[in-house]
Amino acid sequence: MGNILAVKGIKKSFGGVHALKGVDLTIKEGETHCLAGENGCGKSTIIKVISGFYQPDEGTIEINEKGYPVMTPSEAINAGVQVIYQDFSIFPNLTVIENLAFNQILANKKKLVNKKEFRRIAEEAVKKINFDVDLDALVETLPVADKQLIAISRALLDNAKLIIMDEPTTALTKKEVKRLFEIITDLKKNGVTILFVSHKLDEVFEISDSITILRNGENVITCPTSEMTEEKFTYYMTGRHFDTNQNKADMEKNIGETIMSVKGLSAPGFENVNFELHKGEILGVTGQLGSGRTELSLALFGLLKPTAGTITMEGKEVKIPNVSAAEKLGIALVPEDRLTEGLFLPQSIIKNITVSKMDELTSKAGILSNKKVVEESAKWVKDIGVATKNHEFPVQTLSGGNQQKVVLGRWLATNPKVLILNGPTVGVDIGAKYDIHSLLRKLASEGMAIIIVSDDIAEVIATCDRAIVMQGGRVTGQLDGSELSNDSLTSATN
Amino acid sequence: MKKLKNLTKQSEFYVFIIIVVLSIIIQARSGLFFANNNIVDTVRSMIVPSIYALCALLSFVSTGPDVSFPLIAALSTYLALITTNALGMGESMVIVFVFAIVYGSIMGALNGIIIVKYKFPSLIVTLGTSSIFSGILLGAFEAERMDLPAGLQRMGKASLLSVKNAETGLGSTLPMTFLILVALYVITYLVLNYTMVGRGVYAVGGDEVSAERAGFNVKKIRFGVFTANGAIAAIGGVCYAVMSMRYLPTEYAGGEMIVIAAIVLGGTRMAGGVGTLKGCILGTLLLTMVSNSLILIGISVYWQKVFIGAIIIIGTAVSALQSYGASRVKSKVKEAA
Repeated sequence: MGNILAVKGIKKSFGGVHALKGVDLTIKEGETHCLAGENGCGKSTIIKVISGFYQPDEGTIEINEKGYPVMTPSEAINAGVQVIYQDFSIFPNLTVIENLAFNQILANKKKLVNKKEFRRIAEEAVKKINFDVDLDALVETLPVADKQLIAISRALLDNAKLIIMDEPTTALTKKEVKRLFEIITDLKKNGVTILFVSHKLDEVFEISDSITILRNGENVITCPTSEMTEEKFTYYMTGRHFDTNQNKADMEKNIGETIMSVKGLSAPGFENVNFELHKGEILGVTGQLGSGRTELSLALFGLLKPTAGTITMEGKEVKIPNVSAAEKLGIALVPEDRLTEGLFLPQSIIKNITVSKMDELTSKAGILSNKKVVEESAKWVKDIGVATKNHEFPVQTLSGGNQQKVVLGRWLATNPKVLILNGPTVGVDIGAKYDIHSLLRKLASEGMAIIIVSDDIAEVIATCDRAIVMQGGRVTGQLDGSELSNDSLTSATN
Repeated sequence: MKKLKNLTKQSEFYVFIIIVVLSIIIQARSGLFFANNNIVDTVRSMIVPSIYALCALLSFVSTGPDVSFPLIAALSTYLALITTNALGMGESMVIVFVFAIVYGSIMGALNGIIIVKYKFPSLIVTLGTSSIFSGILLGAFEAERMDLPAGLQRMGKASLLSVKNAETGLGSTLPMTFLILVALYVITYLVLNYTMVGRGVYAVGGDEVSAERAGFNVKKIRFGVFTANGAIAAIGGVCYAVMSMRYLPTEYAGGEMIVIAAIVLGGTRMAGGVGTLKGCILGTLLLTMVSNSLILIGISVYWQKVFIGAIIIIGTAVSALQSYGASRVKSKVKEAA
């Protein structure tokens, strides 16, 4: 079979920044091709070039062996290219029917609304992937996975031959990812080509036939998935060699006395949770979305009121009614959604790092010492390795990994005894992820007790000494060091 | 059953319940609420606010608040009156309306251009323009109360329906402007629900980027909404003059807050994308009832403001709690799964 898409030598700059420095991408008809790379490698830019939203500075685009000197969004759609964006391009306030039918009605330049026609189009769309959904429901009431399926079925309506999925699994639970992959397999059988954009290793290996990896706006490699290994994949993406196992073994273990012990703890979302946490230990809490893992972390930080059970810190039974009580006890929480819960995005890095310890940096008269603030912040920027030219810059200018480091730095600045991290590397590059993991191991070896709440099994294995598995609000398993493996955890969480 | 369940999810439904309860209370206490003259009076008082409510609805659903409609109404009515007087065309009421619509559209278009082209928040832009319009009206033109041209006077004196309460001897009339209100609502309903432009208004308010990608012309839709708002405000302004039998330039300003409160009460979402005509009518009816009818049960005029404030807070809190409740239920369902 021929190539459905062949782009060659695409260059694109934005105000002097070279986002793409001559990228080639060739996709065979009917295959599932994966486009991988770290944040900022040019993945999104090349998608926008292919779908006609950006005009490249140089380079050629061919779809089905037909050249497109100037590609416009509507030409791309007519040529059968459909992009499913991370936000799915949906209208949450409207019904499923309207979400499905709008594109086609508008493309046909119709001016009036014919409700029967709308319903017919919507029914046709959901039939393509056997998607069972209430067509009259408002889309905002549906789960994320259904929103995605709406986007996919809508794309198929326009006779899509090449569907580009931009990080499609980010917000999905495991079950939903499985269902998505089944749909992709079906689409493939029907001759639809998929360009699957992702940086999640296991997914890429599971679903794709071949892989193209970009780094800093350049091609690194294109090869069949069968010729790729995990190590190579990580190396090509980051340009660095990592040995995750060594990372763990290298660190001296220094597990000391019990610092926190939780007995029979219950709160809305989970019940009867017991565990002990020692100094210098990293405890993993894993489980699927809705297993109660997030609620547990909130309860330990005073954000959720326990209904039963006790929490003991350093031998004394304590109550944690609010965040400031948790801080006083030396507990810190790095929240799940750093963008809305953990950071003041428009504020400078300095302010974000020092906000939790303003009290200490203030003189007796209650005046903040600017000098101390800057020194404190500079120390942490250096220690945790935030990549920035100037720590006066707003946090929103940083990449996801560096933002996460800033949140981490803020809490480390308070010198916590127990550090709780909820999804510490969600949306973070492999390189930054590795840095964060090393940092956590280092902190533990220095005696800090750490709880990592995560559904990323690889992460739990790479960093934790022990893990508890939660399911439906209950602890369903406890795995110690040697028992921690991919298989044991996967079977325990499913 | 499903229909009933959907009904309880809409804030319109709760406003309706409050209206029913309140009217029964007033009726029980005074025996005058369901009197024919009170009903006609209430409808009469609703006409202008309901027309303004369209402006507020369209702007909230598509973009954000528009607070300039009272001043657009005042200025465009004034300009229409002096133009028709100068041209000696006061005999025809249609001409006055046409001029007002033209002037109003121009002012609305000005809002639209600034909001669309420079992507400024609509609240700031319309606050600014309404201050400008007010300055032009009272400063540059030194507008004063004015008698209406013959055409409008005839319209003001004519009535669709005249009722007299046999017991109290009080009478009330339903003015011709009621027909204008009905026509505006019918047209808006058809446009919003049966044209792609109308669906676009909701789509743009739901997600601007998605709307662009789907092929809606976001800029045109927003510009259109604000221009239409200018025209609707102008119609409301002339109606107000007709119903007061003269033009009162200083009586227009300040009407925006109660109208916005009414539509928010009626379920219009301040974040955009959601709002219905049914909600506009019900919200306006509730607030009109409070300001018109509380006096029937001996509550002083000053307390009305307290009541209106309380209803607004409770009403918005109910819809906020509803969406909060919905998200809670969802997360519970997820846990159970």
